[in-house]
Amino acid sequence: MELIGLLNYAVFMAIFIGIYSLLALGLNIQWGFSGLFNAGIAGFFAVGAYSSALLTAPESAVHLGGYQLPVVVGWIGAMVAAGAIAWPIGKVCLRFRSDYLAIATIGVAEIIRLVVKSEGWMTGGARGVNKIPRPFGDLSYLYSQLAYLALVFAIVLVVYWAIERQISAPWGRMMRGIRDNEDAATAMGKDIKARRLEAFIFGAAVMGLGGALFAHFNRSITPEAIDPMIATFLIWIMLILGGSGNNRGALLGVAVVWIIWSASEFVTDQLPTEYAIKAKYMRVFIIGLLLQLVLRFRPEGILPEPQGTAGSPEVKTFQKQESAAK
Amino acid sequence: MLKKIALAAGLFSATALASNAVQADVKVGLLGGISGPIAAMAPPMLDSAKLAIQQVNEQGGILGGQKLEAVVGDSACNPQNGVDSATKLVNIEQVAGLIGPHCSGSVLAVANSVTVPAGITLITPSGTSPEITGLEDKGQVFRTVPSDDFQGRSLARTLLNLGTKKVAVAYLNNDYGSGLANAFKVEFEANGGEISGYSAHEEGKASYRSNLAELSRGGADTLVIFDYGDGTGLTILRQALENGFFTNFVGGDGMKSDAIIRELGAENLTTFIASSPVGEKSNSLELFNEAYKAVGGNPDAIFVSNSYDAAFLMALALEKAGGDAAKVSEAMAAVSDGQGEAVLPGEWKKAVELIAAGKDIDYKGASGDLNFDNAGDVPGSYGLFKVEGDAFALQQALN
Repeated sequence: MELIGLLNYAVFMAIFIGIYSLLALGLNIQWGFSGLFNAGIAGFFAVGAYSSALLTAPESAVHLGGYQLPVVVGWIGAMVAAGAIAWPIGKVCLRFRSDYLAIATIGVAEIIRLVVKSEGWMTGGARGVNKIPRPFGDLSYLYSQLAYLALVFAIVLVVYWAIERQISAPWGRMMRGIRDNEDAATAMGKDIKARRLEAFIFGAAVMGLGGALFAHFNRSITPEAIDPMIATFLIWIMLILGGSGNNRGALLGVAVVWIIWSASEFVTDQLPTEYAIKAKYMRVFIIGLLLQLVLRFRPEGILPEPQGTAGSPEVKTFQKQESAAK
Repeated sequence: MLKKIALAAGLFSATALASNAVQADVKVGLLGGISGPIAAMAPPMLDSAKLAIQQVNEQGGILGGQKLEAVVGDSACNPQNGVDSATKLVNIEQVAGLIGPHCSGSVLAVANSVTVPAGITLITPSGTSPEITGLEDKGQVFRTVPSDDFQGRSLARTLLNLGTKKVAVAYLNNDYGSGLANAFKVEFEANGGEISGYSAHEEGKASYRSNLAELSRGGADTLVIFDYGDGTGLTILRQALENGFFTNFVGGDGMKSDAIIRELGAENLTTFIASSPVGEKSNSLELFNEAYKAVGGNPDAIFVSNSYDAAFLMALALEKAGGDAAKVSEAMAAVSDGQGEAVLPGEWKKAVELIAAGKDIDYKGASGDLNFDNAGDVPGSYGLFKVEGDAFALQQALN
């Protein structure tokens, strides 16, 4: 095995982990901190991917666009579009509680997928959007991968910082309050509907950004990418396994699940070819089994949410004083 | 903590296993939609590609007696898994060329972000999207299946020549159906035809009667169906016949399925014709059919001949390029450009001798002559088939 090949693969994995991290962080805002069961991640992923693609792609006869705006505008556009789509959806659906919200959001994601497939004048239909510019795409293979990784890494860092800040602010404590005891929060005069809508839109915008990074990485986006298995449920598994309500847990979950998902193909390749093909299905099974095991033995995830108000600055100072006293 | 260690150990053992794999002679990647929406179609396609590789190894191997090995990857028919698997094949397995992926969306993503930057040649047996033609691929992307543009356009022209001026079109809403329907519509209308109804449908519904009623409202008596005859297309055709929405039916190659005759009966299909690729007066297809049957395959399965050709062409190109991955794309174009001595499916030994003697070869594939144009596309040769007895029979060639 050549080292450079190994490096290429590692860089690629890191890029994908970065992209999936955005989706998982977006879900963490919605589920982890606010208790909103969004099973329609693929929909917001798609809205982000397509908005950014259409804003930046060159003109084509098969879809809308030809604006050729800078990539940064595309990415901001992706966040705005995903957030804007989330607003009416949230307005309608957020009155549902847990399971019902999940069903409604699955439906919404499916609607988005079908609109993308059917409204060819806008999205190119099944042909998708192609020739999307990729930042640093002109460099050689390894360097362009490395440059993209740096970009994705920087974005994940900024998003992580923004979410951490928002969550340790009073807004975050209020969201957890609403999540854990809605009645108490209402009694304290919190506008629950509006706060939930904020969290929903915030999370959706982050997911949209993840979709945009994905589209630009592949220089193309087709409806095949909006597969609920790979764009919704895989992310749920990542978050649950890593630890919902904990951003570091979300990132860890993404890394662990993606590495298992991707590297398990090497294991199946060791089998004789006639079994190797059948064993590919095993990978899907392994991911499911992993979720079962985690839910059975460690429902709070690898890195659970810090209990109580451990995240707040006052408590941290208090803990420090306490340990100093000891 | 123990769990974390166990997890880490698991990951390490996975990578350790991976490093053992790299010891074969010449490797090619075989990337298919094993899991996912085309899971039923993929295994026969992979089998036929492996048949080509088996023939290479039986007839003396590649590049002076080395063994050709196929490393199978799963693209799951989506770009995420496709790119992941292709990255592994190209970087970890260090394949010399890639056969696949099967679905157009994966082909676009894999070519854009893996094979073209890495300088690896890709040949897909079933990516039919017209977008693949326009890829900025430095000539490194090929396919053994014609773009949907070819079939849709030639079917439109032929129908007009037959005197059918007004049709309704029902197509499956995926890249196959909409690609064909689009090309058909553009060509049909450009040449003076009228499309009185044009609608997409989703697969797997129990009833399409409302779609059909809507389509028949335009007043056409011919319905053109771009769908799969062993899937939704069968339901549509059955319901259109039962309710008398249309009198004549025309299908694309997906509709030329024995399931239609079996389920609906030949006596009900006198007004049904389907276009489908035809091999041009060579016995390439028969050679392949016999060889594939001998290993227990069904040569009528969809895309198997294209898949076999893709693998055989990859082997020929590798041999001609002397194993240099950077020269494979050039060699690929050269081994099937219509010039030189003809090589038929399975004639590996002969091809090797010709290449060694420095002669030009021209592969005549099981799925057609496969003479690549500048974009790496192949022109299709199609015929119109009607039902005769219990099978499809060629009625006329498409122009």
